[in-house]
Amino acid sequence: MNTFPHGIHPPANKERSAQVPVSELPAPNIVRISLSQHLGKEALPVVAAGDYVKAGQKIGEADGLISAAVFSSVSGKVLAVEKRATVNGHANHVCIENDGKYEEITLPPLKDPKPEEIISRIAECGIVGMGGAGFPVAVKLNPREKIDSFIINAAECEPYLTCDYRIMLEYPREFLLGAQYMARSLGLSRFYIGIEDNKSDAVEILENAAKEAKIDVSIILCHTKYPQGAEKQLIYAVTKRKVRVGKLPSSVGVIVDNVHTAFSVYAAVEKGVPSYKRVLTVSGGGVKHPANFWVRTGTDIGEVLNACGGIDENAVKLIVGGPMMGFAQSDENATVTKTTSGILLLTAEEAAGEEASSCINCASCVKACPMRLMPVYIDGCILSGDVAGAEKYGAMNCIECGSCAYVCPAHRPLVQSIRLAKKKIREKGSVK
Amino acid sequence: MKNLAVSVSPHIAQKSKTTRSIMLDVIIALTPALVMAVVYFGYHVVINAAVCMGSCFAFELLYTLAIKKDFSRKAVKESSCWDCSCLVTGLILALNLPRVIVVKSWDLNVYGTMPDVGGINRADYVLFGGDTVILCIIASLVAIALVKMLFGGIGKNFANPAATARVFLFLAFSSSFVATNTTGLGSLLSASSGATWLSGDKLTNGENLFLNLLTGNRGAAAVGETCMIALLLGYLYLSIKKIIDFRIPLIIIGSAAVMALLFDGVANGLTGGRLFENMLAHVMSGGLVFGAVFMATDYSTSPNTFWGSALFAFGIALFTMLIRCFGGYPEGMSFAILVMNVTVPLIDKFIVPRPFGYSKPAKAKGGEKA
Repeated sequence: MNTFPHGIHPPANKERSAQVPVSELPAPNIVRISLSQHLGKEALPVVAAGDYVKAGQKIGEADGLISAAVFSSVSGKVLAVEKRATVNGHANHVCIENDGKYEEITLPPLKDPKPEEIISRIAECGIVGMGGAGFPVAVKLNPREKIDSFIINAAECEPYLTCDYRIMLEYPREFLLGAQYMARSLGLSRFYIGIEDNKSDAVEILENAAKEAKIDVSIILCHTKYPQGAEKQLIYAVTKRKVRVGKLPSSVGVIVDNVHTAFSVYAAVEKGVPSYKRVLTVSGGGVKHPANFWVRTGTDIGEVLNACGGIDENAVKLIVGGPMMGFAQSDENATVTKTTSGILLLTAEEAAGEEASSCINCASCVKACPMRLMPVYIDGCILSGDVAGAEKYGAMNCIECGSCAYVCPAHRPLVQSIRLAKKKIREKGSVK
Repeated sequence: MKNLAVSVSPHIAQKSKTTRSIMLDVIIALTPALVMAVVYFGYHVVINAAVCMGSCFAFELLYTLAIKKDFSRKAVKESSCWDCSCLVTGLILALNLPRVIVVKSWDLNVYGTMPDVGGINRADYVLFGGDTVILCIIASLVAIALVKMLFGGIGKNFANPAATARVFLFLAFSSSFVATNTTGLGSLLSASSGATWLSGDKLTNGENLFLNLLTGNRGAAAVGETCMIALLLGYLYLSIKKIIDFRIPLIIIGSAAVMALLFDGVANGLTGGRLFENMLAHVMSGGLVFGAVFMATDYSTSPNTFWGSALFAFGIALFTMLIRCFGGYPEGMSFAILVMNVTVPLIDKFIVPRPFGYSKPAKAKGGEKA
C-alpha cells in the first residue's frame, strides 16, 4: 500500500455525514464576503456602498501576484465595505443585501482551451486551493520547473470532513474534467489521484466516469492515515519522490491540488462561473443533523449551523476546517470563504482538553511525526528559551499537522510549542 | 450565546492512551509474572509487592507534598503519584527481589520450625520476613525519592529506579544477598546433576532444562524473572498494545544469545547440542528476559529513537554477558541496565533522525528518487 513513514490513526468519524447528499443552502439576507479568502495579499474592493451587484460579479481585485479576485455570491445592494473578524484574523468584508433573485453573471465558456487560456481563466475566476491553504491556483500552475506529474489530493485525511468525498461521488465527471484541464495547463495528458483506501467506493465511480469521458487518470490507493493529504507526504506516497527540505513540490516536478479546486476549475472553464460557492461539511457530536451543503461565500457560520439544528448544548468547541488543523471560533459570526471545508461542533468527549502533564519520554511524538522530527526536543528547547536548539532540531520543517500533540499521552501541546519555536526562529532571523 | 472554548489546533486528542493508562497496562503485563512468582515462591511475594508498591506510592505523594509545602486535599489530588508510575516501579522492584532476605544483624523475622538439616538456608523457614519488609521500604525510598523525584520526577530520571534500588540493596546488604544473586540455575543443576551452573563444568545435564526454564520451575535471585511463559505473555501484551517497541527486547535477547555462544560456549570448548543448551540457559535464566521486556523499555531511561534504542539494547546485552562471563558476579542485568542508562543522553544527543526530505546543504538539488 502506498503511504509515507510514521503518521497517526485518529478515528475518521466520517460516517456521520458521508452518506448525506450535498444540498443547496439558501444564502441569508445579508452576506459578508471577506476580501481575504486566500493566501497572500488581501484583494482590493472594486465596489462601494450603494452599488448593485450580481452573483459572480467581481467585488475584489487581486492585489499583486500572490492574491486572488473575489466575487459576489448573491445579487443585491452593497451595504458597506467594513473590517470584520475572519476565522483567523481580520479583513475587509463586502456586505451585500441579498435580493433573493440570484441574478448571475458568467464568463463565456471555453472550448478546447490552450494551457495559457486555462490559466488565465483560473486567475479571472479567482480560484484558490480549496483544501484550506487557499494558495492562488493560477500561480501554482505556472511553475518555473518542468512538471511531469500532476496529483489530485483526494486523501481528505482530516477526520469528519466529507466534502471532497461527496464531490467525487456526485460530480465525478465534472471533477475529472476539471482535473484534466489543470493537467493540460501544465502540458500533461494524464494525472494521478491520490485517495485513501477508506473511500474505495469513490474509486469505482471515478474509474467508470474516467472510462466514459476517456480521461487518462491513474488512481493511487493510499493507506488511510493522517496526514496522508499533506503535500509532501502525498507526493511521496504517489510518486515515491521526496521533496527536499525547504523546497516546493515543483522542485521534484510535481504539482498537487485538491478535489474541490478541480471541480471549480471545471465550472470556470466550461460554465464560466467564478469561485463564489463551495461544498462544505457540517459535522461533529454537537450537530443534530450532519450535512454536506453548497454554501455561498459570505454566509454566516451561524446560519449554516442553524440549518443543521443549531448549536447543541453539549458542544464545547466550534471549529472551522478539520479538527486537526482547523480554527476554533469563540462565536459563529465569521463567514464562509472559498477555503472553508467544514464547520464542526465538538462535544467535550470529542474535543481535546486535558491538562498537560510531565513528558514521560515515551517518544510517541517521534514515532508519529511524518516529517521525522523530534517534537519532544523542540518542545524542551523552546520552553527553556533555546531558540537555536529548536532550529537545530528542525523546527522549521514542521508542517504543523498536529500528529505529535494528538498522540501525546501526557497531552502536551507539542505542535503548539513548535509553532512558537518557528515564530521565534523567524524573529531571530529578521533581526540578523 | 454559549461559551465556546478557543485554542489552537489540533482540536482532538487520543484519549485512550494517557500516562496512567500506559502505567496500568504495564502493571497488567506484569501480572502473569507476579502470579507465577506467588505460585513458586509463596505469599512472601504478595507481601513484598504490597509493601514496595505501597511505599513507592506513599513516598512519591509525601515528596510532592513536602516540595510544595502544601498538605491540603487539593495538593494531594494534584500530586504526580496518581499517574501510577510509582506503582510500576514498586511492582518491578518487588519482582526483582528474592522472596526473603535475612539480614543477620537485624533478624526481625518470624521463623517456623526448622528441621535440623545442615546446609539448608534459614530463609526457607521464614514465616514472615521482617527484614525483607524493611529492605523493601528502604529500596522504595531509594527508587522514588533518590532516583526519581530528586531528578524531577516522571520522565526526568536518568537511571531506572527499580534497577538502581535493587543494585543499592545488593551492594549495601551484600552478605545477605550472597546466596541469592545468581541466575537461579545453581540449585536446579546441582539438584539434577550435582554440578553447579556457575562454577565447574557449566552445563552438565540438559534434561528437562528447557521445560523448567520455560515454566520457571527453578530457584532464582529474583522472584519475577523465572517463568518465561509469563514474561512472554507480558511482552506480547505490551507489544500488541504498542506500549513498547517489540524489537528492543528481541535485540537484547538475540545479541545476548550470540554473545553467550561466543563468550561462554565457544570459549569453554562446548560443542554441538551442549553449546545450544548453554546458550538457552543463558538467555532464559537470570533477569535477562525480565529486564529486556520491562526495564530496558522504560521510557525515561531509554533513547527516543529506534536506532538509539537498538544501540542501547545491544549495550545492555553486551554488559550483561561481559559481567556474567568475565565478571565477578553471576548476574549482571541490573548493572548493565544502569550502565547503559548513563549513556542515554549521549545516544540521544548524537542519534537524531534526519527530517523527511533532508539533504546535505551542499547539494540541495531535488528530483532524486528515493
